[in-house]
Amino acid sequence: MWLHRRTLRRRWCAGRGGSDSLGNTPQASFLLSWLLQHFEAVETRVLILNADPVFQDRALAVFDGLDLETEVVRTFPEAIVSLLAENFDAFVIEGQPAAAMEQATNARQHFPSLRIVCLSAQAHPHDVALVGEQQKIELISYAWTTRGLRRRIERFVRSIETPGAPSAEGVDPCHSLVGNLNQFSAAEILQMSCLSQRSGRFTFKSGRGNSEIYLQHGSVRHAVFGSLEGESAVAEVFRWRQGRFYFEEGVISQVQTVDRPWAHLLIDNLQKLDETLELASV
Amino acid sequence: MKSRELETKLRLLTLQLENWKKLHDLITYGLDKAKPIISSEQERHFTEIRANLLQETEYVLRQLNILDGLSGKAMNVLQRASSVRGVRDLTGEDVRRLEMEWNAVFTKLGVVQGQFKAQRKQLAGQTAISYHLGRLFRRPAVAA
Repeated sequence: MWLHRRTLRRRWCAGRGGSDSLGNTPQASFLLSWLLQHFEAVETRVLILNADPVFQDRALAVFDGLDLETEVVRTFPEAIVSLLAENFDAFVIEGQPAAAMEQATNARQHFPSLRIVCLSAQAHPHDVALVGEQQKIELISYAWTTRGLRRRIERFVRSIETPGAPSAEGVDPCHSLVGNLNQFSAAEILQMSCLSQRSGRFTFKSGRGNSEIYLQHGSVRHAVFGSLEGESAVAEVFRWRQGRFYFEEGVISQVQTVDRPWAHLLIDNLQKLDETLELASV
Repeated sequence: MKSRELETKLRLLTLQLENWKKLHDLITYGLDKAKPIISSEQERHFTEIRANLLQETEYVLRQLNILDGLSGKAMNVLQRASSVRGVRDLTGEDVRRLEMEWNAVFTKLGVVQGQFKAQRKQLAGQTAISYHLGRLFRRPAVAA
């Protein structure tokens, strides 16, 4: 129902946007086109991995009817390439429970904050469900009727739809360092700050959301990104290639979620990044 | 408004086009005399794409109502291009035919994809109510 309301709201804008010839003023047209673009921009994007998307398309047919953008890939390396290149709100893996869970677990190691779902034609065995719970991987089974499957997929899509509020920009006087991640990677700026024994807070803003990393005397003390904390939040920021960063000198975190030296974190995360790139080239 | 049927057709068409593009990349590689090495990985990839096309082409073209015009040409391409090495060994005349037929299939699929996208854009500007009202009160076509 919520999906329908959202759809209608967007269509109202689309319908109005197309009625310039009916006498809308240029200002109204501009406003409507901006609204249209805005609503277009927040469309949910889902990557679906399905080895046989033409003939095994029961779930894909459900996705076809939903108001979201989907990209279908056939192999895991293709999926990794897409995940590295573009922002997706969720990654759906369709297939046999054990095989799909193996791929999902693999993807989880490289994309800690990504919403991952395993879709399977059979009910998920207990051990697979257990791994799913540990790795925060959602499970949807086809054993349901088509209507039940649609309901579950719709519920999942609703849960990933975010308001998509654009991150607030602007330089605050308390920011001692501001920059773009496409010019300096997170690894580079963190390395620079740790080498110069800085203490303060890094805020990273990208299409995926905001993340904060707190430094104290050149070591990472605390990191947070959404529900992720500690090293997994640092690992997430390492992958970002677009976005902005701000550094505020002297902001110290009371919480400590990272207790390893920066050099270890750097080596581990760069190695993980290399592994991800290797997966994409298989 | 969003038509599920149209979205399904577009999905099938996009997947099909993607495979034809990949096939073309490998055929081009095979024909490039400046690249003498053909790896087993490339051959495996070629076979996989060919297998996908062989099993899906007829079904997809039927779903899109373009089976009659394209089925023969698509099958000719898939039969001629048996492997990357096989493509390299084709005669000049066969290569020309292969390229011509691949181009015919690709062009037609591209045109149909454009038509579907135009339909999707048109539908996006309508609400379900206006779409059905429009159909209800549309004047019937007058026979000449």
